[in-house]
Amino acid sequence: MPKLTVEPERLCIELLEDETILEGLYRHGYAYRVGCRRGGCAICKVDILEGDVDYNRPVAEKVLTDDERATGTCLSCRAVATSDVTIMLRDDSVRRVNPLMARFAVAQQG
Amino acid sequence: MAVMRMGYMHVKVTDLAEAKEHYGNTVGLYQTLEQDGKVYFKGWDEWDHHSVVIEEGGVGYVKCGWKCEKPEDIAEIETKATAFGYPVERMVAGENPEVGDGIRVTLPSGHVMEFYSHMTAWGLEVGTHNPDAFPRHMVGIGAPRLDHALLWVNDVPGIEKFFQEVIGMWATERVKTSLDDDAQTLATWLTIGESNHDIALLEAPENKIHHFAFEMRGWDDILKAADIFAMDDTPIDIGPTRHGITRGTTIYFFDPSGNRNETFSGGYRCFRDRPTVTWTADQLGKAIFYHSRELNERFLTVAT
Repeated sequence: MPKLTVEPERLCIELLEDETILEGLYRHGYAYRVGCRRGGCAICKVDILEGDVDYNRPVAEKVLTDDERATGTCLSCRAVATSDVTIMLRDDSVRRVNPLMARFAVAQQG
Repeated sequence: MAVMRMGYMHVKVTDLAEAKEHYGNTVGLYQTLEQDGKVYFKGWDEWDHHSVVIEEGGVGYVKCGWKCEKPEDIAEIETKATAFGYPVERMVAGENPEVGDGIRVTLPSGHVMEFYSHMTAWGLEVGTHNPDAFPRHMVGIGAPRLDHALLWVNDVPGIEKFFQEVIGMWATERVKTSLDDDAQTLATWLTIGESNHDIALLEAPENKIHHFAFEMRGWDDILKAADIFAMDDTPIDIGPTRHGITRGTTIYFFDPSGNRNETFSGGYRCFRDRPTVTWTADQLGKAIFYHSRELNERFLTVAT
């Protein structure tokens, strides 16, 4: 299972298979600025510092350009990690809004 | 009154199959045509061939169409729009399937507006002979018809003037920086008939579409729509709630490509001599979301 690390908070979670970065963070009780959650608005873009992601749905070039893909911009609502991944949010920080969710998520993974 | 209503909204979607599922089975529109990578839909209480067009390959606004009463109305708009200084070109029957001759006006924001007077008749789903109140087997939320759109534009006062002077609309409500005479208009709600708005414009750094809306038949149907969205895992932006502006009840939700849709119901009848409502920017939260009285983080940031 790929690990997701968020810098500079040094938050580390485990992602499920085919789970997007956004889904993984929300499942662990974390929130950040997101929009349509369907790949259309580009609000949830983050920077990849390390690792690789893939997209299991088509993403519009208008939303995420080839240049951005090549230089480490990631559309977090549609991106699925294909290795351990480290990201950094843009002008935002991840907020722990549901602490209980993190405990449930860890319990779920065993 | 030349223009009668917004006749169609045409948007791009990233995945045609998912979008067909959304607009067909969740929104409950009737598919009338699939051709050249585009799918055409209508609501059950609409009689023209289509009111929503989805096209694969991207996301966001392509264009919208305005239905005029008579062909002469198109000529009049062509003359006035040209004099107003906006680019106008003619379109011929068939450029849009089942749509007649018309003109195409491009706003300074880049938004394309088409004006036509003929579209192939499809008919109301309940017919016109001793009709029932609604179709017996409605799908999803069963949206009856397309209602309005809110666009992000870079020049609200200029484009508002176009819709007023060339199309004959008037502002039912506005958001302004203050109540002073020299206050800047940040947003405007424009109508051509008796509904609250056929188009709304919001001053924004990018020229995009914020949402397009379907008219629902009251609060009960809005609540039921939210239930259907839960069943279909449709992301809800906000609602069910009420807008201060227009008093309408609402849900904002997203299609599978991230285009924002709305279910809208209520509002009040707008006769042309009704005074225009002004909201001041400091009350924008209450104006948009009457109950929570604060904007969510998506209202002024998310558009396609």
